[in-house]
Amino acid sequence: MSKKKGYIIPCSGIGKVFGSIGRETAYIVVNELAKDKADLECLPLIVKGKKEVIEALKENKIISIDGCPLKCSYNNIMEKVGRVDAQFMTTDIVKENRDLKPEPYIIPIGENTKELSKKLAEKVAEKINELLENKVEVE
Amino acid sequence: MKKKVGIIACSGEKLLGGTLSRAAARIVVKKLKPHDTIVLCQPLFAAGGLERHGGQQERDFAKEHPTITIEGCEELCSKIAVERYSGPVAATIRVDEIMKAHPELKPKSREDLGKDGLKLAEIIAEEIAKKVDELHKQR
Repeated sequence: MSKKKGYIIPCSGIGKVFGSIGRETAYIVVNELAKDKADLECLPLIVKGKKEVIEALKENKIISIDGCPLKCSYNNIMEKVGRVDAQFMTTDIVKENRDLKPEPYIIPIGENTKELSKKLAEKVAEKINELLENKVEVE
Repeated sequence: MKKKVGIIACSGEKLLGGTLSRAAARIVVKKLKPHDTIVLCQPLFAAGGLERHGGQQERDFAKEHPTITIEGCEELCSKIAVERYSGPVAATIRVDEIMKAHPELKPKSREDLGKDGLKLAEIIAEEIAKKVDELHKQR
């Protein structure tokens, strides 16, 4: 069995709810859906280039979650680590679930936002399983 | 006319301090100083070298306006990023120091601040608002 982990790196957006969906998704994956297979790391530390963090990412699978087209998580990981194994956009889960309009407030997040995060978390957890079982090619 | 102050929260997703920094930044820009402050996105700021990704605007703003960084831990990711790309910061708020000064307040978790955590975020936000007033008095 693989000892590698899937590192989930959500963007650090704080202006809009789409960043909050990314963070909440990451927490659901690491705390509930893929407890032993997933871990979380601070995007600002990656951006800063913290050696231990960059090394850990290089040795494991990396999943970025972004909340806007600027894709800070994906782009910063590519810049610092050179590889992202899977990427997700929170705006996609919102588009796929038009009946769940995310509430505009983010502290605390609303019920629809939580529901959207759960749905995205299921996809992320599934992707981690695939990556750790080597079912998918590295992007 | 008063110059707007840029608020840059570390937003570290892995740490309680990151969640507190984010919440405090939101309280400042939405509630305490909505006309005097603006949030700058830390990873976007740091990605300014990748100009196509939009971070240059954040860096230019920080060159021309005072900035206050809010740090969730001793890594000081936001301060380092601002000083590297734009110049000296006007002030730095250390969330961990404010937490130590209020041991009676025990935030629930990084995922959910709870009542005490929100109170702590309010206290951090008030410290930031005081700094904003000080900066405007100096000008």
